[in-house]
Amino acid sequence: MMVAEGGRPRLGRTAIGRLVVVVVVAALITAGAVSGALPARRWEPFFQASTWTFLGEGLLVTLVVGGIALVGSLAISVPLGMARLELRGVLGGLVTAWIELVRATPILAILVIVFLGLPRLGVRLEALQAAVIGLIIYNSAVLAEIVRAGIASIPRGEVEAARSLGLGYVSTMRFVVLPQALARMTPAIVSQLITLIKDTSLAFILGAQELVGYGRSFFNFYGNSMETYVVLAILFFLICYPLSRFSRRLEAHQPVAERVVVPGEADQLAAATP
Amino acid sequence: MLELSPALAEYSDFFFEGFRNTLILAIGGLIGALVIGIIVASLRVWGGPVLSPVGTAYVEFFRNTPLIVQLSFCAVLFAPRNLNITADPIVVGILGLSIYTGSYVAEAIRSGILSVDPRQVEAARSLGLTQFATLRLVVLPQAIRTVIPPLGNITIALTKNTAIVGAIAANELLKVAGVIETRTASFDGYIAALIAFWCLTIPLAFVVSRIERRLKFAR
Repeated sequence: MMVAEGGRPRLGRTAIGRLVVVVVVAALITAGAVSGALPARRWEPFFQASTWTFLGEGLLVTLVVGGIALVGSLAISVPLGMARLELRGVLGGLVTAWIELVRATPILAILVIVFLGLPRLGVRLEALQAAVIGLIIYNSAVLAEIVRAGIASIPRGEVEAARSLGLGYVSTMRFVVLPQALARMTPAIVSQLITLIKDTSLAFILGAQELVGYGRSFFNFYGNSMETYVVLAILFFLICYPLSRFSRRLEAHQPVAERVVVPGEADQLAAATP
Repeated sequence: MLELSPALAEYSDFFFEGFRNTLILAIGGLIGALVIGIIVASLRVWGGPVLSPVGTAYVEFFRNTPLIVQLSFCAVLFAPRNLNITADPIVVGILGLSIYTGSYVAEAIRSGILSVDPRQVEAARSLGLTQFATLRLVVLPQAIRTVIPPLGNITIALTKNTAIVGAIAANELLKVAGVIETRTASFDGYIAALIAFWCLTIPLAFVVSRIERRLKFAR
């Protein structure tokens, strides 16, 4: 809200914008209700507390799966990214090939192959475990590229200075390179977290019960599939939108030369635009 | 390859149908996403105080919700119970992919347009060029350079995302591999699907990185 010179309150640009969006959404809902495509009674279950304890359970599973997958991917990605940067010869080729092949594969294909393939090798696992393993495989490869780009962005002279002061490779990495690289990587990691959280929704295709799976059980009972998908989309939006704002804010404070962007990942590019 | 796997040999026509559908989904999705992206980016840049927030809302909402939820919503929307249209899942898939990918394309195009210095627009206008001529002769030729690399990356992501359309019963590569696995108990379909996806995404990634490097030096 801004006050114009005349003393009369005037709506600011963003306030008008928000008003317009609210009006459009309200018009869409009214049009849906009037045309009979979205009758009000199918929204009624969303006013019951039991609905929200049920969907909340699903949301919790999604957040836990996302959290475990993030921690697992980060833990694997640091050594993987360093190996990609430092290893030469056959071993280096293998690491590069692994990262590139995983990143060239659709995430759903990885999830399905883990879920159906590992039992063939004698590993028993449930759908949710398979989903976590698949998410870790894919995201650790992407994060490894972020780690590599982050480490590579630190000037060579700093490493040489540290080495000439007598620090070993591990100490140089631990005290000089990684702390700085990690700071530069943070916006890219947050962007990847958005991709990861959106991708947890694929677990229901394997038969796992996470937020979308809970939503499907819910609308199978009430027969309000369209309305439930709208609510599910809003729940995901409420998690991912603040993260994308956060990532953009972090990046805005970063000099352009220090930005770490991994090509091929759509959400990374989204954060990189002002 | 076919001699190595009796399961694939038996279902080779079916498998290539899946490959064709994956290509149709990727190309159709890209065209749809470009149309949506151009419209939404125009809204955001030139929409003024009323229309540009609508563009922003579109981008933020569809970028921050999972593709599978958007696809499932489209699939339900076109089911006979709601709009009385029994749509081909491939068509619904192209629509869903276009809506989702369009939000990324819009951002790429918008940042391309904004990358052109506004003083150039002022100069062109003061030289007597019309608004349209300024756009055509001054802004767009420069914006294209900034837009092409992210568009290439979005295309790679789109190609990978076509695998998700199998979840709404479209016979694309991954779904076809699943059907072959259930019918023959052979895992070869999945191996072949993986290789087929790599044949699409790896050359694409190679081309995109080449273009990216060339455009970087051109400036």
